[in-house]
Amino acid sequence: MHPTTLILSSSLILVIAILIYPLLTTLNPNPQDQKWAITHVKTSVKIAFLVSLLPLMIFLDQGTETIITNWHWMNTAPFDINISFKFDHYSIIFTPIALYVTWSILEFASWYMHSDPLMNRFFKYLLLFLVAMILLVSANNMFQLFIGWEGVGIMSFLLIGWWYGRADANTAALQAVLYNRVGDIGLIMAMAWLAMNLNSWEIQQIFFLSKNFDMTLPLIGLILAATGKSAQFGLHPWLPSAMEGPTPVSALLHSSTMVVAGIFLLIRLHPLMENNNIALTTCLCLGALTTLFTAACALTQNDIKKIVAFSTSSQLGLMMVTIGLNQPQLAFLHICTHAFFKAMLFLCSGSIIHSLNDEQDIRKMGGLQNLMPMTSTCLTIGSLALTGTPFLAGFFSKDAIIEALNTSHLNAWALILTLIATSFTAVYSFRVVYFVTMGTPRFLPLSPINENNPSVINPIKRLAWGSIIAGLIITSSFLPSKTPIMSMPLTLKLAALLVTIIGLLTALELTAMTNKQFKITPTIPPHHFSNMLGYFPAIIHRLTPKLNLSLGQSIATQLIDQTWFEATGPKGVSSLQVKMAKTVSDAQQGMIKTYLTIFLLTTTIAILLTMI
Amino acid sequence: MTPVHFSFCSAFILGLMGLTFHRTHLLSALLCLEGMMLSLFIALALWTLQFEMTGFSAAPMLLLAFSACEASAGLALLVATARTHGTDRLQNLNLLQC
Repeated sequence: MHPTTLILSSSLILVIAILIYPLLTTLNPNPQDQKWAITHVKTSVKIAFLVSLLPLMIFLDQGTETIITNWHWMNTAPFDINISFKFDHYSIIFTPIALYVTWSILEFASWYMHSDPLMNRFFKYLLLFLVAMILLVSANNMFQLFIGWEGVGIMSFLLIGWWYGRADANTAALQAVLYNRVGDIGLIMAMAWLAMNLNSWEIQQIFFLSKNFDMTLPLIGLILAATGKSAQFGLHPWLPSAMEGPTPVSALLHSSTMVVAGIFLLIRLHPLMENNNIALTTCLCLGALTTLFTAACALTQNDIKKIVAFSTSSQLGLMMVTIGLNQPQLAFLHICTHAFFKAMLFLCSGSIIHSLNDEQDIRKMGGLQNLMPMTSTCLTIGSLALTGTPFLAGFFSKDAIIEALNTSHLNAWALILTLIATSFTAVYSFRVVYFVTMGTPRFLPLSPINENNPSVINPIKRLAWGSIIAGLIITSSFLPSKTPIMSMPLTLKLAALLVTIIGLLTALELTAMTNKQFKITPTIPPHHFSNMLGYFPAIIHRLTPKLNLSLGQSIATQLIDQTWFEATGPKGVSSLQVKMAKTVSDAQQGMIKTYLTIFLLTTTIAILLTMI
Repeated sequence: MTPVHFSFCSAFILGLMGLTFHRTHLLSALLCLEGMMLSLFIALALWTLQFEMTGFSAAPMLLLAFSACEASAGLALLVATARTHGTDRLQNLNLLQC
C-alpha cells in the first residue's frame, strides 16, 4: 500500500484510539489516582493533537482525503450500515483544531476545577464529549453521525448540570436537552426520508442519487436539526442558559465544538442544498434573524458569560447566513477561526471569575488591566479578533463572508441585518472590555487575584497565538473551491470594517456620556426588550406549558369528571330518575293500606270467578 | 279447580292479606311479600310441567333472581327506616304528624 495513504489512515485511527484509551482505564474497578485527569486525559489529548497534525500536513502537501470503512456493523432490510470514517477537507482540518482547543481547555480546567472532588469524572465527561464530537465530524454515514450527534447532546446535558445541587443548573440542562430534541426530530425525519427514498445512509450514495429527487423535505429536516443544535432563532434560549455549567464546559461545548455541529451537518451535506432555493433562502433569513436578535440581546446583559454566549449565537447565525449564500467553505473557515478566539474569551472570563471570587457581573469588575495584565490583554485580543480586526483570525473569515454577502444577488434584508449585527458585535465587545479592564475597580478589595499559575496562562497564551495567526495560516494554505468575487466598489469592500468602526465609535461616545447625565432615565422599552432576551423565554417557557397543563386539567376535570361521570353517566341517570319518581309520587299520598286492600279484593274476586 | 291450583292460589291470597293488613312491624309485610313470591315461583314451575313447555323452564329462575333484587331493595328501605326512626314499627312513621 502506498505509504501516504497508509500513514494517513493509520494516524487518523490512532487519534481516535488515543482518545478512547483513558476512557477504558476508567472501567477497571480499582480507584484511580488523584492525578488521573492530568496524567491520562490531558496527555492523551495532547498526543492526539500532535498525531493529528500528521494527516493535516499530508493533506496540505498532497491534498489526499480518505474514507476508511472498518466494519460491517448491521443491516436493515434494504441496506447495510458500516463503521465508516470520512476524512476529507473538513474533518482533517477540524480535528487538529478541536484537539488543540480541547488540550488548552483541559489544562485550564485542571486549575479551574482543582478544588472539585469529582474532577476525574469531569475530565471523563469532557473526553467522552470529545470522542462523540470527533465521531460526528468524521462520520461517513448518517447513522454514525447520529450517534455522535446524540452523544454530544447527552454530554452537554451532563456537563451543564454539573453542579446539580443548583436548581438553575438543572433547569438549564433540561432546557438544553429539550431544545436539542426538537432539532433531533428534524434530523430523524431527514434520515427516515433518505432511508426510504434513496435507500442508503452513506453520504457518497446520497450525493449521487439526490440529483433525481426533490430534496426539500429532508433539507427542511436538516435545517431544523441545525436550528436546534446551533441555537438559531426559535430554538435559541438554551445557549445562554447553558452558561450555568462550569466555564471549561462553556468554552469547549458552547463555543467551539458542540454548537457548530449543526452548522457542520449542513456543510457536510451542502451538495444536497446547492440547487434548492427554498432551503438556501431559509438558511439565509434564519441566520440573519438569529445574528441580529442575539447581538441585540447581548447589548444589555450584565453577566460576562452570557455576553460571550450571545456573541457565540450571533456568530453561529453568521455561519448559517454563509451557508445560505452557497459558501460552505467560508462557513467552515469561520468555524475554525471562531473556535480559537471564542474559547479564549471563555477561558479569560473563567480566569477573571475565579480571581474575583466567583463574581460574574461586569458591573462589579473593573480596572483589571493593571491587576491581571495577561488575561485582560488576551481578552482584548479575543474581542478584536471577534469583531474582525484586519489580519487577526476573525478578519479572514468574517470579512470574506460579508464581502460574499455584499456581492451576491440575494436578499438585501439579510444583508442589512447582518451588517447591523456586525456593528453590534463591536459595541458589546467594547462594552465587555471597558467594564472589565478599564476604569477603577468596583470589586471587593480582598479578591484573590492571581494569574501566575502556568496552568492558566499557558492555555490562554496558546489560544491567543491561535487567534492571531490561525486565520492567516488556514487561508494561505488551502485553496477555496469557489472563486470569490474580487472586484467590488470600495464602499462594499470596506463595509464590514466601516460598520465595525461606526459601532465602536458609537460605543465610545456613549461611554464618554455616562458621567454627563445625557438622559435622566434610560429609554425603558428597548432596554427591557434586550435585557429580557426579547421576552422569548418569558413567553414560551411560561405560556406553552401553562396552556398545555390547563388543557390537561380541563379535560380531566370538566370533560371526564363533570360531564361524563356526572351529567351523562351514572350520576346523571340517577338524578333524572329521582326527579321523575318525585313527580309521580306526589300524586300518591301514602294510603298504603287502602290501596293494598282494594288490590286484595280485586284479586280474590278474580280468582273466585275462575274457580267457579 | 285442581287441589294444586287451589293451594298456591290460597297461599298467594293469604300472603297478600298479610301484606295488606300488617299492623305493627314493617318486617312482617316484607316477609309476606316473600311468601307471595314463593307461591308465584311454584305457580310458574307448575305451569311449565302442566303444559309441558320445556322452553319455559328458565322462567322460575328468572323470577327468583328478580325477587332477590326486590327483597334486597325492601330490606334497604327497612334499614333506612330503622336508621331514621329508630324502629320499624309503623306507629313511629307518622308520629310527628298532627
